Amino acid sequence: MAFSFLHASDLHLGKPFGGYPEAIRNRLREARHGAIAALATAARSGRARHVLLAGDTFDAETPAPETLRQALSAMAEESDIAWTLLPGNHDSLAATELWRRIATEAPENLRVLTTPDPIALSGGVYVLPAPCTQRRPGRDLTEAMSAPTPEGAVRIGLGHGAITDFSGGESLAEEGGAGIIPPDRATRSGLDYLALGDWHGQMQVGPRTWYSGTPEPDGFKHDLAGGALLVSLDRPGDPPDVTPMETGHLRWHGLSLEMLPGEDTTALLDLMLPGSRRRNHLVKLVISGRLPLAERAALEAELARLAPEFGWWAADLSRLGVEALPEDLDQIDRAGALRQAAEVLLAESGDLALSQADRDVAARALARLYALSQEVQA
Amino acid sequence: MKLRAIELSNIRRFAGQRARLSGLGDGLTVLSEPNEFGKSTFFDALHAVFFERHRASGAGVKSLRPHAGGAPEASVEVELTKGHYTIFKRWLSRPQARITEAGGRIIAQDDEAEAWIEALMQDGAGAGGLAGPSGLVWVRQGLLGLEPEGTSADEKRIRERGLNTRRDLLSSVAGEIEAMTGGRRMDAVVARVVEDLAPLVTATGKPKSGGAWATALAEVESLAKEIAELRPKAERLSGDLARRGEVQRQIARLTDPAEAEARTEAVKAAKAAYEAAQAHAAQLAQSETALRLAQNEEAAANGEISRLTQLQARLKDLAQARDAAETKAEAARQRAEDLAGREGAARQKAETTGQALRDLRARLGAAQKAQLARAAAARAEALSSQVKRAESLQQEAEQITAKLGLMRISPKALQAAEEAQAALDRLTVQAELQAVQITAHPTGGGQALLEGVPLGPGPHPVLAACEITLPGFGSLHLDPGAKRGAETAQRLDQARGARDAALAACGAESLSDARHLLNEAQRLREALKQITASLADVAPKGAESLRADLARAQAEATQAPQQGAEEDIPGLEVALAQADEAASTAQAEARTAQDLASTAREARAGAEAARLAQKQAHEAAQQEAGDPQALAERLAVLRAELPKRAQATAEKAQAHQLLTAAAPDLATAEARLARATSAAEQARHEIEEGRRHLAELDTRISVLAEEGIEERLADLEGRHQEAEARAGRYEGEVKALTRLRVALEAARSAAREAYFEPVMRELKPLLSILHPGAEIEIDDQTLLPAILTREGEAESLGILSGGTREQLAILTRLAFARLFAQAGHPVPVILDDALVMSDDDRIEAMFTALHRVARDQQIIVFTCRQRAFAQLGGAKAQVTVEAL
Repeated sequence: MAFSFLHASDLHLGKPFGGYPEAIRNRLREARHGAIAALATAARSGRARHVLLAGDTFDAETPAPETLRQALSAMAEESDIAWTLLPGNHDSLAATELWRRIATEAPENLRVLTTPDPIALSGGVYVLPAPCTQRRPGRDLTEAMSAPTPEGAVRIGLGHGAITDFSGGESLAEEGGAGIIPPDRATRSGLDYLALGDWHGQMQVGPRTWYSGTPEPDGFKHDLAGGALLVSLDRPGDPPDVTPMETGHLRWHGLSLEMLPGEDTTALLDLMLPGSRRRNHLVKLVISGRLPLAERAALEAELARLAPEFGWWAADLSRLGVEALPEDLDQIDRAGALRQAAEVLLAESGDLALSQADRDVAARALARLYALSQEVQA
Repeated sequence: MKLRAIELSNIRRFAGQRARLSGLGDGLTVLSEPNEFGKSTFFDALHAVFFERHRASGAGVKSLRPHAGGAPEASVEVELTKGHYTIFKRWLSRPQARITEAGGRIIAQDDEAEAWIEALMQDGAGAGGLAGPSGLVWVRQGLLGLEPEGTSADEKRIRERGLNTRRDLLSSVAGEIEAMTGGRRMDAVVARVVEDLAPLVTATGKPKSGGAWATALAEVESLAKEIAELRPKAERLSGDLARRGEVQRQIARLTDPAEAEARTEAVKAAKAAYEAAQAHAAQLAQSETALRLAQNEEAAANGEISRLTQLQARLKDLAQARDAAETKAEAARQRAEDLAGREGAARQKAETTGQALRDLRARLGAAQKAQLARAAAARAEALSSQVKRAESLQQEAEQITAKLGLMRISPKALQAAEEAQAALDRLTVQAELQAVQITAHPTGGGQALLEGVPLGPGPHPVLAACEITLPGFGSLHLDPGAKRGAETAQRLDQARGARDAALAACGAESLSDARHLLNEAQRLREALKQITASLADVAPKGAESLRADLARAQAEATQAPQQGAEEDIPGLEVALAQADEAASTAQAEARTAQDLASTAREARAGAEAARLAQKQAHEAAQQEAGDPQALAERLAVLRAELPKRAQATAEKAQAHQLLTAAAPDLATAEARLARATSAAEQARHEIEEGRRHLAELDTRISVLAEEGIEERLADLEGRHQEAEARAGRYEGEVKALTRLRVALEAARSAAREAYFEPVMRELKPLLSILHPGAEIEIDDQTLLPAILTREGEAESLGILSGGTREQLAILTRLAFARLFAQAGHPVPVILDDALVMSDDDRIEAMFTALHRVARDQQIIVFTCRQRAFAQLGGAKAQVTVEAL
């Protein structure tokens, strides 16, 4: 009979999200806590009774007592699920107090893998863990996954960290830095499946190697829904059956939009932005390119209209250049002082003798003048 | 439009009368009359014609009616481009309005006439252009401001009308102000910018307290402070965690049983080795003591032998030294005495040669003085002769000078005398030629007598009346004519007098005397010149100087000494040189002898001291050595024992060497024991310390971990980052809004300047007449001057003196009047007793300004200040009054 489990990682429980306003901050924290129940639900839906957490369950080495206790309670409440927890780089073994407390307070259905010794999950199924000893251990801890297990056992590697990218590109490290885990670790160590954590986006590295991604996204780096992987292993050597499971509650969208004169900004935005349940979406929009004053004003108005619909919204127009057409300036005024002020600001916004900062200020002032003049006219 | 005449009937003081004001020219026209003449009546009536409808019955119209009652009437003759017209109005009783052409044809009446006037006003200066006494071009008594400042409806209406007029006027010459300055849209945009900025910044651009920007900045600061406080705790926690891991690992290693057993065994082995080394060291110490004792005894024997041998040798050396010192002392004594004798002889010789030298110097001095006295006597004799000669020449020169002083003759005086004589001669000849000639031709023996003098042959001129006695006949009285004779005689007398005066000036009685005197004077001058030259040769510096030289020479000659006159000076000088050399040589020898004697005395003292010291040293050594025989025996005994002592020492040294070679290193054994003991102790201590430290760390970590510091710190850092970003956004917003506000204000200011340029162009030349270099700023709301800047100091019109405000009010109207004219609608400027507050200087300047404008502008001035306005010039208006 196949052995199924849910591969998840990077819950980052207790992440404070201090850079966000109070309302969304609380929702973000709550969503992270809710990931435990979501994972349990996902496991159950896949008829799995084991959830393997591949590191960074906690965001800090010494999480707040409520973070820890509530997490342990939540796991305990999912009593039909066996939770297997691997220290990651955020909650490494150096976080001795964390692991001491967990050892003291952990519910029965939680197992913590603080040593690299193979552990039997169920009959004939072994987990070969590579717990992070330090935040940056500086060596390939997954070498321990080559440890022997009884003949005929199913070998599941559980590790956390960035993999080496032999193609010369950037390594898959969530927080940057060089990857250490070889991408062929599964083959080298005879693993049936290598469950990795650290990369918050869900990704398959090889036939038997996956990053599960975070069950609840926590940033704009990965524009993906939060999720986990339902893994089913039939017999040793057989390829794993991996099914992505969506668990995330909130979505983060880091969007870029390059505008050119004449484009239908409303249509573009409609195309990019989610159409429903917008309050569960956080949007960071960076708009570049150039727009005439009128279109920029319309864009700003549209953005102002859209902003309250979302859970969190930020639009950066600092890279959006001003293109003032004669008719734009005419709309400010055909002549006189208003027109003169507009022309001075327009000239300043394109004056290369000025600093970029001063040019930007002039462009913003001009855009503001345009908008105000239209409001006044209205 | 130009006003040509104003006619009033039955208005105020002109009750039952018709008054006509005429003579209103194209430029400046003045009506200068005393108070109560009725100037303001003309002014008000003029105003009423234009601005009070004929059916009006308000206060303005009623004020025109005289006390006696009746219907006031007024007419104004105006000249328009299309012709001359008369505007007539009658109020209150049978009111009427009428417009009449020059030919007398009525072209409009009543309401049509009012419409005609209205059209004229519209055409002239826009809606309400000439409205009221506070209008642009009407200035009445006591006016200070540019427009009424009250709050009554009428005053507001007047202000509004004036503003509209100015707007219309400026719009016609400079465009619409709204178009130029952005008008209400600009105001609204600026207001919005200010409104948006207001919650964020203060007036000076600083973050406004309580505003969003200031709040964000405060949050940044507050969060940074919290982070700064929390971060050390987080770092401490992190450090404690790392240390706890380290301590735990250390304790585990130290408490490992194999390691503990190894430490115990190491201590035991080190202790045994140390005790064995200690026992060997004790043997070695005994051996070393014995060896040192033998070595000391041998060394003591050798030392004694050496001491005694040295004592013997020293006694011998000291005896020899004592003898040598005595010999040396004696030699020194003898040498000192010898050199003392030589010193005395040398000193004696030096004294002798010195005396001889002094004697010779005295003799040579006396001989030289005698020689000088002789030379002085010879010089005195020569000088005496020169003095006499000089005194003689001086005396001679003084005599000639005295003579010349008495002679008044000069070539010029002589010439004058010669000319006077020639004139006299010419007159005499003329007189004689004109005179009656008498020639006697005696025929008998008689002798005719002329004035008693026999009359000789030849003609005799008769220049004056005379008597001729003719013997036998009697006498003839001859008269050449009284008048002519007198004139001739007078001229001759004058010529003679002139000649005599000229001769007197020469100091001569005749012309020949004068010539002789002139020759004598020239001769004397020549002689004086020669004498002066001789005197300069004899006494170049003057006779007085010569006499002084003589006195000095005589004095020197009298100072000759009594002795030495016969001495041979060259011989003495040779002897003196020889004596000088001998004396120098003797003195040098004396100094050398003195030095030698002194040195010898010191050497003698030194030799004597050395002798005494050697003697004492020898005696001391003798005392130390005692009996010489006993000393020698003692030495012999010691030398005989010496080989046995050496043998004993060698044996003990060999034994000690053997023990030393076999000795273990006690220090090393001790160090090994100490190290093993210390390591064991250290391990025990470290275990205890580690456990204690672990307990401390557990406590600290537990406490800090409970606080959730990391989460809090991450939260604060996130919030700090967000607050910084928010503050940055506000800053960007403030910068953009501030830049926009500056750009708007600059553009509006530039537009305003451009808009008011026509007014300024007219106003500035007028202003500079009163206030050179002053600048005026116009308010874009009222379109009137608001700020006057003089010498860099800006003042609002409200705080200026009454006189200055009054002048500016008039100048502004003049400027606007010129703008009306430029716009093709000339209007008259009417001043009713204006400039009441201006001083003499300013009023003169204002007159100049009025004349400047009046070149192409009609200005009518009513004034009661006849004396002050006498200097205004301009045409004089005439007023005629007749009964109705």
